Formats: sequence, structure tokens, C-alpha cells
Amino acid sequence: MAGSLKKPSPPRWLLAELTYACPLQCPYCSNPIDYANINSELSTDDWKRVLKQSREMGAVQLGFSGGEPLTRKDLTELVSYSHDLGYYTNLITSGYNMDEAKIIELKEAGLDHIQVSIQASSKELNDFIAGTKSFEHKKNVAQLIKKHGYPMVLCVVLHRENIHQMTEILEMAIELGADFVELANTQYYGWAHHNRDQLMPTQQQLNDAEVIANEYQASQKGKMKIYYVVPDYYEGRPKACMNGWGTTFLTIAPDGLALPCHSARQLPNFDCPNVNDFSIQEIWNESKAFNYFRGDDWMKEPCRTCKDKDKDFGGCHCQAFLLTGDAHNADPVCNLSPLHHTVTDAIANAEQPSEQALLFRNSKNSKLLNN
Amino acid sequence: MSVEPTQFINLSPTYRLQWEEAQDMFVLLYPEGLVELNQSSSEILQLCKDDNKLSDIVTALEEKFSCTGLEPDIINFLNTALDNGWITQKA
Repeated sequence: MAGSLKKPSPPRWLLAELTYACPLQCPYCSNPIDYANINSELSTDDWKRVLKQSREMGAVQLGFSGGEPLTRKDLTELVSYSHDLGYYTNLITSGYNMDEAKIIELKEAGLDHIQVSIQASSKELNDFIAGTKSFEHKKNVAQLIKKHGYPMVLCVVLHRENIHQMTEILEMAIELGADFVELANTQYYGWAHHNRDQLMPTQQQLNDAEVIANEYQASQKGKMKIYYVVPDYYEGRPKACMNGWGTTFLTIAPDGLALPCHSARQLPNFDCPNVNDFSIQEIWNESKAFNYFRGDDWMKEPCRTCKDKDKDFGGCHCQAFLLTGDAHNADPVCNLSPLHHTVTDAIANAEQPSEQALLFRNSKNSKLLNN
Repeated sequence: MSVEPTQFINLSPTYRLQWEEAQDMFVLLYPEGLVELNQSSSEILQLCKDDNKLSDIVTALEEKFSCTGLEPDIINFLNTALDNGWITQKA
């Protein structure tokens, strides 16, 4: 494969997952379910090296994420360093334990934007889903973010338990002065995949939610931008995952593993490189993992001869692995996949409520699942 | 939305226009978003500042590129930019 490929496009987005530590316990968390066994974290100097090398290659959008990035004591230092390198810096946070002094400190360090997640529009449901009392504090943080002149994205992950609150969620976003609202239907990786039967909405719930999202998109035009992310399970065609493997996105996990997509560490025998061993340039251009799904040499049927293969790149490889056991298969979300029934069966099951309780994302459960 | 000749045009405060050496192009940056701009788009957006009006932008670009008749293309792009929230106009 090597040699026949033209030079890959440079990375433009860097997702820095600073830590897996998080005070919240959301059952749809995209972190790996065995995160409690991954204890090492990159040092401040390691992160600076990664940030510098990635910037030199072309990365310009930078997300500080986790876990909860605010638990890292060097967050402000890393923001300041990134700002000086010319990144557009985004903080992706639960807002938990954030106070006004921190919001000001980060602003002075050059932070460009804060995305706050809220789990629901009511205190009771928010605190239940988050597994932590946090609703009033989050709302307060959102107001402080606006007070200090940041653009704010309010992110609400949607699922069976909160999707009926669409109207209230959007009204809350207006009240809090959000500039952008991301209504992201749950994607079923990590903890969300484990809890899938309890989280999947019914088709009717989704149809209702979409109508409301469209209404507000029209009435808020020019004031608040609303992104409504339709869940790919219900779409029939796969998403162009990561804008194409190894073309745009680079994720660095807390322990330094470099991932073409933030779920990729679950792919077996994949050998994702670590920034402790290689430079970002070596990782992006030469590593097996980043070259693996570049181009279309890897494709099997029905992808290989599909007219849409340059549009969706075969969909999501992590999803193909999770649902079919082989990451080389077409994403079974695609209605041309011979294994599409793995998705339609799950949708049919969602019509009946699951008897199983939600498993919350915390270290105890993580260890329980992986011992 | 369409651009009004009497109004002042500026880049929206939530957006940042930046030259990217590695990619040899201007990009527009905003919360979790990135637009890679071709040359004509970036030439126009660079002039969306200092309370310029449509006529200021047209004049500046026609002078810079020694040509005439750019107004229709500039209006088209500015309308798109307004719709996307990249720029604001005010009286």
C-alpha cells in the first residue's frame, strides 16, 4: 500500500483528550469502557510537543476535551501555549467545578470558545443522567461564559430519556444566550454502545424531535444556530466518518495514543502509535493505523463498486467493527450492507422499553466490565 | 438575507479570519468550525471590516485586480456570507 498513496492531506483538527477523569457519569460517554485501566497521562511538556508538532503540520482547530479537561491543573498553561501557536481553541466541558475566576483566567490565556454540555432541561433529569448534582451550576456557568464575552455552544446529547424535552431544551438555550446549539443524538460507541437498548429513541420520538428542531431552526435564524445531528442508525446511508480516515482529524488520548478517530482504540490489533514513541509527522504520514483506511484499497463489496464510495468512504469503521465484528465491512447503517439487519433489529427493539437499568460511566463500573 | 448598499459590513465577532501557512490559504474559524477559503472569497472577507460598505469593497477589489464588473459576484458571495452568519451588516 505504501508508495502508491499520494501524500495525505494535513491534519486540521486536533482533539486533545487531556484526561479520562470526570466528575460526571453520563451513560452515553464516548470514552472507552475500559478507561479505568488506562492510568497514565501525558505531562505538560508532552502536550506542548504534540501541540507544536501538530500546528506545524497544519492543525488549526483545537478541542480540549476528556473526560473533564478542567481537572487538569495545567489547562490554562496549555490554552495559553496553543493560543500563541495560532490555534483556534475550544474547551469542551461539563462546566462542573468551573467558577468565574477560571472563566476569566482562561479568557486571558486566549481561549476562543467554550462548549458546555447540559444533560436535560429539568434539574431532576439532568442530575440523574449526569449521575451528579450539576444542573443549577451548569446554568450559572453558561451565564458567566456569556458575561465574559465568549461565544458559547450548548451541547445536549439526545436519547430516549430526554428527547421529549426538545422544546424546553431549546427554550433553555435561548434563555442562556447560546450562540450555537448542538442537539446531538447519541452515537453508539463506548458506554453508549453498552447502554444502547436503554438509550435508543423510538422512531416516533425522533420524528417529533425533528419537527421541533426544524421549527426552531427557522424561527432562530440569524440569532442562534441550531445543529440537529440525525442519528445515523435511522438514516439508511452512512456518515462520511471523520471526513475520511486520516484526512482531517487527529485525536490524542490521555495516555498519548494517537487515534484517527476517538473510538479507534477499540479496534483490535490496530497498533495505534503513541506520541511518546513517534513525532506527529511520523504518526500522520507513516503509521500503519493512519494509513489503514486511507483511499479505497481496503474496501470490500458492496463498498468497492459503490457509486457513493467517495462520498461516505464506507461509513464508520468502528461501527462496522462493533456491529459486525470486522472493521473492513461496510458500515451496517448503510442499507446496501448485507448486515444492515443488525441496525434495523436494534431499531425494532427500541419500540419496547428495555428492562435493563442504565450502567453509569464511572471507574467502578469500568473495572467491573473489564475484569 | 441580502446585502444592503447603504449598510456597514463587518466580520461577525464570533468568526476569525486567519492565514494558514501550512495550507497556503485563508481559513475562517469559529466554534468547532473551519471553512477553507478560495482566493476570491478570502479577498472579499478581508475587506469586511472597518465599517466598509459594498461600494468600498467593490472599488478596492477592482482597483487591486485592475478590472471592472466584479459587483455581481461580490454581492453573491456576501449574501452567502450573511446567510452563514460570517458577516454582519448594520446601518
